[in-house]
Amino acid sequence: MTVKFNNRDPVYVQVIRHFKEKIAKGYFEPGQEIPSRRELANQLKINPNTAQRAYKEMGEQGLIFTEGNMPSCITKDEAVLKSVREELIIEAVDLFLGSIKSIDVPLSEVLELVKKKHDAESGEAEESK
Amino acid sequence: MKNFFKLLNFEVNRFFKLYLTLIGLIIVSQFIGAIVESKVYMDRTDQEMYKNQLSMSQYIERHGVFSFNYVFESEWFLLPIFFSIAMLMIYVFFIWYRDWFGKNTFIYRLLMLPTERITIYFAKLTTIMFLVLGLVTLQILLIPIEIQIVNSIIPTDFQSNFSFYHFSSFEIWGWMYPNTFTEFILIYGVGLIFVAVLFTAILIERSYGLKGILFAIVYGMVSFGVFFAPILLNELSSGYFYSLEVFLMLLVMSFIVLGSAIWIANHLLKYKIRV
Amino acid sequence: MIEVKNVMKKYGRKQVLKGLSFTAEKGEITCLIGINGVGKTTIMKAIMALTPINSGEILIDGEKIRKESFEKVTFIPDTITMLPQMKICDAFTFMADFYKNWDPLRAEELLQFFKLDPTERIANLSKGNMAKVNMILGLALNVDYLLMDEPFSGIDIFSREQIAEVFTSHLIEDRGVIITTHEISDIEHLIDRAVIIDNGEVLKEFSVEEVREKEGKSVVDVMREVYRR
Repeated sequence: MTVKFNNRDPVYVQVIRHFKEKIAKGYFEPGQEIPSRRELANQLKINPNTAQRAYKEMGEQGLIFTEGNMPSCITKDEAVLKSVREELIIEAVDLFLGSIKSIDVPLSEVLELVKKKHDAESGEAEESK
Repeated sequence: MKNFFKLLNFEVNRFFKLYLTLIGLIIVSQFIGAIVESKVYMDRTDQEMYKNQLSMSQYIERHGVFSFNYVFESEWFLLPIFFSIAMLMIYVFFIWYRDWFGKNTFIYRLLMLPTERITIYFAKLTTIMFLVLGLVTLQILLIPIEIQIVNSIIPTDFQSNFSFYHFSSFEIWGWMYPNTFTEFILIYGVGLIFVAVLFTAILIERSYGLKGILFAIVYGMVSFGVFFAPILLNELSSGYFYSLEVFLMLLVMSFIVLGSAIWIANHLLKYKIRV
Repeated sequence: MIEVKNVMKKYGRKQVLKGLSFTAEKGEITCLIGINGVGKTTIMKAIMALTPINSGEILIDGEKIRKESFEKVTFIPDTITMLPQMKICDAFTFMADFYKNWDPLRAEELLQFFKLDPTERIANLSKGNMAKVNMILGLALNVDYLLMDEPFSGIDIFSREQIAEVFTSHLIEDRGVIITTHEISDIEHLIDRAVIIDNGEVLKEFSVEEVREKEGKSVVDVMREVYRR
């Protein structure tokens, strides 16, 4: 697991984001065990304090839970998982809209392009299967 | 206390290889000297006897028996001793400077040991004393052997009665091998103080750099002056004091000089030393 | 906590430290940042009583340094602190002899991690390997505080990565670490606090994540700001 961190956003925020992406993309199953703080620090090459902070925040946000002395796990709460997916999708949409806003083009045309591109790529994906 | 012995062991080990080389040198050179001088003597004696048609007893009447001075004043004997003295003198300085210079920055480690830093000073001081006493002892052991070597080469008639006692009566060796224990303590005590003052001077230089050399020299001279003050005083007052009083004053001065050497060294090592 | 309070130091005629003050907490990695010659190494040596200071105070857990302190804090300078003719294992034996807090198992673990041969003589090691041995001499001591002077400088990138890994591991956790560097960008994501030093003084002391969060700036950004003044 190598993540490239930028130096302007707090590292712990970037770690949480990384986890959210993994959840949204399905790399992390609900209830799946996650590495300990130490292991995570080592894997991601970050300061153990940062890993600690990230876990604390994620715990508070309900993304992960820790039962007693057991290793921490991804939440099983469907509502939380759903909202994470939504959050990432909305972020992507915002990013997209922000990019094309400056280009004067009607929404319908843009959506057409999006559908075309999306179908083409899924088509390719189907063929290569 | 334990750390002192560990450091002492460490310091002695560092010099050990060189030390063995010195010992080897002394042994080889002095043994060769004993052999060579005996043979040369015998050759000379035989030649003389032949030339002048003398018998052994006639020769002895005229020229006396073999004198051990031939051996103990030869270069074979003396050179290794002077060389060792020179080496030890150099090492008095080198034992400190080696930890600062070259690829060696061991002084960092020595100063970061969980022990009073003055222990380093004591360990190095004791090491020098051990090295000196070691060589002195070596010489005591070698003399009888060398006498044996000589006596195995020259015929009995030419042999003289010689022992270590005779050797230590030679003026120059008298001070290295004093006859009484008190004298021994005194002479080697002065040696110890001398090395202690040198060590402190070195530490002054290490703490203050270039201007430190100046301080160090001044310190050395002051120590010297303080130490010999009683003698000077006595001379100036035309022998006003009894020898015993001068002696006691010297004793007090020695303690003062040694005490201040150690105190200054301790202060420097704790608060002023630089790596 | 290591507290450096208003330290002044002159070297010859040059005022090297002009009232330098900062603190380093246990459990955090504090990085002293500044260009070469600004006083970073000097202050580290001063903390270890390896060079004298003219005025000011340096406290380790509230007390001035004493001989017992050397079991609590250790310094990894940019030069090897063992005799060049020693083998690595000899150096370890020496440490075990004098320090109660020496952990031989950890030393062994680190030796294997760095892929070093214990029978190798220190003088024969490459610069990178010598730095690693130096690291082990510090890391295998169960001390509360580690001071490292330019642990990454002059070392090849692979050795650097290995050393950086140490910072993210249990070997550093819970300890207070002070490191100096003049190349901050590589290790920005590893440190907790930054102390920017220039001309013998502290220009700015801050928590790295806090500045990122509140001002969206990296350490390099802050440095640019601070140096411009």
